[in-house]
Parts: sequence; structure tokens; C-alpha cells
Amino acid sequence: MTAPVTLRRRLAGLDRLPVALMAVFLAAAAGVWCGLWGTDWSTISGTLREPPSPEHWLGTNRLGQDILERLLAGTATAFEVGLLVAVASVALGAALGGLAGFHAGRRIDTLLTWVIGTIDAIPFYLFVAAIAFAMRGWPGAMQLAMILSFWTLTARLVRTESMRLREREFIAAARASGSTNRRILLRHILPNLAPLLLVQASLAFVAAVKAEVVLSFLGIGLQDSISWGIMIAEASQEILAGHFTNFIAASLALFVLVLSINSLSDGLQERLDPRVRRTPTERLA
Amino acid sequence: MSAGGSRGGFLLDRLVTATALLLGVTLISFTLTVHFGPDPTWEQLGRNPTPEQIEQVRQALGQDRGFLPRYADFLLRLARLDLGHALASGEPVVDLLARAIPVSLLLLAPGFLIGIVLALALAMVAAWRPRGFVDRLCTIVSATGMSLSLVIIVIALQAVFAVWLDWFPARGWRVHDLASYLRHVTVPSLGLIVAGLGYNLRFFRSVFRNVLHDPPVRTARAYGFGDGRIAIRYVLRAAAPPILTRILVAVPLIVISGSLIIEKHFGIPGIGMVTWNAMMSGDQPVMMAVVSLSSVLFVLALSVTDLLTGLLDPKVRGA
Repeated sequence: MTAPVTLRRRLAGLDRLPVALMAVFLAAAAGVWCGLWGTDWSTISGTLREPPSPEHWLGTNRLGQDILERLLAGTATAFEVGLLVAVASVALGAALGGLAGFHAGRRIDTLLTWVIGTIDAIPFYLFVAAIAFAMRGWPGAMQLAMILSFWTLTARLVRTESMRLREREFIAAARASGSTNRRILLRHILPNLAPLLLVQASLAFVAAVKAEVVLSFLGIGLQDSISWGIMIAEASQEILAGHFTNFIAASLALFVLVLSINSLSDGLQERLDPRVRRTPTERLA
Repeated sequence: MSAGGSRGGFLLDRLVTATALLLGVTLISFTLTVHFGPDPTWEQLGRNPTPEQIEQVRQALGQDRGFLPRYADFLLRLARLDLGHALASGEPVVDLLARAIPVSLLLLAPGFLIGIVLALALAMVAAWRPRGFVDRLCTIVSATGMSLSLVIIVIALQAVFAVWLDWFPARGWRVHDLASYLRHVTVPSLGLIVAGLGYNLRFFRSVFRNVLHDPPVRTARAYGFGDGRIAIRYVLRAAAPPILTRILVAVPLIVISGSLIIEKHFGIPGIGMVTWNAMMSGDQPVMMAVVSLSSVLFVLALSVTDLLTGLLDPKVRGA
């Protein structure tokens, strides 16, 4: 059986609600990318801190900017940051973890294990701060820092998994029938790792979106852009004066997106690991 | 690995690993905060310096040397805790840290500890009766907690308890006795408890579920021992290694993100505030000290735990 079929079958039975919610978020982000909405997030209108109205559905902030526009544009930003970090960190982790696992016990494995251990021993927010410090205002510093610190988890798992796969009969059979290393990696090892990588990518996506909020709140996140984190940072100043729309809009969006992805990746993990017994309550987690 | 289970070999093996990790984290701290950090040469020079003046200052500061001698110099200074002076205040960095760290400990310790004890208790009850009321509640609490950010929790709690209800001070850290301490520490602690509960509940519950199926626990249950005795003497004890490791790994993340977020938001002069100020103003000696010292401390803590679990459990030692 080839991998795409099993993967598709594993994806088929996922819960409908989180899938539907994800579709809404994706549509919101896609609309921004196509220029349908969310393009006026920085336009300043005359009325400051206006309550919701037909013109501004969620009202305006302290500069008179439309909160709904900012929320939509922030959704696109969340997907941009999340997807970039998820794809890059999982790809890096898979490549380096696979390399280490394939050459387990040799010098390259020792070196990579050391690098992984070292990065994991540096507290994440200080690592990001240090990279932002070293890069001094380069706009990609936050994403780079996330990729450089998130790949290690994938690498650890892929290393263990490829060490285990290396010993399996079907790899020996492929080798005996004259397959090259490249073919074994692409046709036999990678398909077996695909579900694991998908789960890791969803975890990295969530971690990136959540870290963006913290980093933008601290002022070392995105610059000259709009994101949920920037909205929340802005709102933290307004909330003492009793203006909640900005805060509630961005927080709720983050909460629902993260909840949906968490529940999707849980569903996926249950399908991957037969040891996890599926109980009705556990599906909520 | 090569030690073959002998105690001396095991110790040597772990010592080598710990040393390699220490070199790794200091190398990264040095590269990011010193090598790529702002060049101190320019701060010592006047306007329009001549090339000779630049060269002179670079030599005096040791900036003209190669990467490795400068790194070695950095290691020596770090080992002697000779961390230089903060650019902003001119105060020795060691004094700055010595003043800020106790504030952060007082601020974070209650929330962190109460959060863990609460999560352990709830997870134990949940694991004991799967699909019972507490288990369902824990599932909802952990799904919610994992989807919120500490930033959101802290802002919301401040809005409710300090602004709307007006029970606690909204900002600051004017602590002089126990009552004022409790007033200032309550809202941040609540934030830490809520933020940690999501991930901790889920992890502890799954560890307890596994342990409850272990033969010693099943035997104890079959003997008819009381629930409390089984929970503490058998389940908690068997589950201790993964839980302790987990707590240790969580410490830097919770303590550092917690102190950065909470101290910045509430304006509390702890280590997070010191770090945040250094980050914003580009205060290189302070950044270097915070990044390298916390990484070094974390490696030391990890190595000690690793060593202890290894010495206590022969299975780990052989692996």
C-alpha cells in the first residue's frame, strides 16, 4: 500500500466542526491575499473608539482604524507566519533528523544530536530576543528565530523513527532488490514519516501563531505590519480605559484557530497511534 | 553507551555530554549577543575618528582579535561572573541581577507551585475515574488552557480583578509586608496557574493513566489498599521521573516567558523587566549576561537531574 492512500484515509474521518472553522479562517486569509478585504487596516477614519456600527462592524480603535479590517488582515498574517514557520521548521527537522537517524552512531549523528541539545537548552524567548538583538530590526528575525528553535523537536522524532525504520524488513528488501539510498529515502522512509510530519507541522503552526502574540506584545515581533499580537498589545493599553472590542476580537480569533488546529492534530495523532484509545471525551482535548 | 553500565563510565559519559552542551550554549550566546552584538568601539570614540584612533580603541578593547580568543575570553569572564557594567545605568550587571532575581522569584514561585500541585491533584482524580465528572471538566479546562496565551490571560485577569472589581492593584510592586505582597502577587499568580493548567493537566493525566495499568499498582488495588495510599505511595512515586523532568523543562519557559510578560505588563522590576529593557535599548552586557547565565543554569539543572535518575535507575544507566 502506498502512503498517500493511507494518509488520505486517515484524514477522511476528522471532526467536521474544526475543519469547518479552519475553512472559515482560510477563506478570511485568502480574501486578504486576493485583496477583497483587510486592505484598509491602516486607514484612519474620523471617529476614534467608535462602538460597532453598520460602517465599522466591530467599531474602531483609538486611532480610528477599523477593527474588523485589522482582524481580517491579522488572520492572513497568522497564516503567513504559521505556514512559513511550520513548513520550514518541519522540513529542516525532517532533513537533519533523517540524516542523523540514517547515520546513527556516526560522527554526523553525534554532531547533530549536540546541536539539537544545545538549541533546546537555550530558553526560547531569550533565543528569539538574542536573535532579534543580533539582527537589529531585520523584519524576518522573529520567523528565523522560530524556525531555528522549532525544528529540533521534529528532528528528534524523525531521528528515532528513521533509526527504527532502518531495521525493518521492507527496507532490507528494498536494499536487496537494488534500490539506491535516494530511492529508499523517498519511496519507503518518507511516506512512513508523512503522518508524523503532518502532526509536527500542525504543532509548529500553533506554536508560531501563539509565539507571535507574545513577541509582538513584547515589542520584538512583527514590525510595520498588522497581526493579532499587535492588536492585543494595542488593546493592553486600552483595556484600563474600558475599551474591550480590540482585545476580545483578536483573542477570540486566536483562541478559536488554535482550538481547531489542536483538535485536528489530536484526531490525527489518535489515528496514527493505535495505543491511544479513542474515547468521546478525549476527542475534545 | 560505550560505558556498558559501569558507574564510572556512566558518570564520565554524562560529564562529557554536559561539557559539550555548556560549550554549545555559551558559543551561541557569545555569537548572538557579543559577536553580532553592537560594536563597543564606537561608543568610546568621538565624532569623525581617524582610522588610527579606531584601531587604537579596537586594540584596547580586544576587538581586533579573532573569534576564538574572544570567545575564550568571554568564557573566562563568565566563569568569574565578571559581567561588566550595564550601558544604561553604569551599574555592575551582577548587582542588577542580584536585585532583580529575588523579585521575580517572589512573583512567580507561588503561581508556579500552586499550579503544579493543582494540576497533579486534578489529573490524579481524572485518571482514576476516566469519563467521570472531573475527567470531563479537565478535558475542557485543558483544551481551553492550551488555546489561550499567557498574554491574553494576564490582560483579561487584570481587567476583571484589578479594573472592574478593583480588588487588587492594577500595576506596580510596592511590597513592604505580607499583606502588600499578597495583594500584588495574586493576579499574576492566577495568570500563571490558568496558563500552566492546560498543558500540565493533559500531560499528568496521561502519565497517571499509564501508571495505573502497571502491575504494582494493579496488585496494590487487588490487595484492597486505600485509594489515598495507592495514589501517593504507588502512582505518584512511579510517575515521578517523567513528571519531574517535565517540570524541570517547563521551568525556563514558564519562568522566562512569565517574568517577561507579567513584569512588562504590570511594571514589576524583576529579571523579566531588566531583560526587556536591555532588549529594547540594546544594552549588550545585560543581554549577554541574561542569555548565557540562564542557558548555563538550565544545562546544569538538566545534567543533575539526568545524573540522579541515572544513578537511581540502572535501566537508564545501561541505555
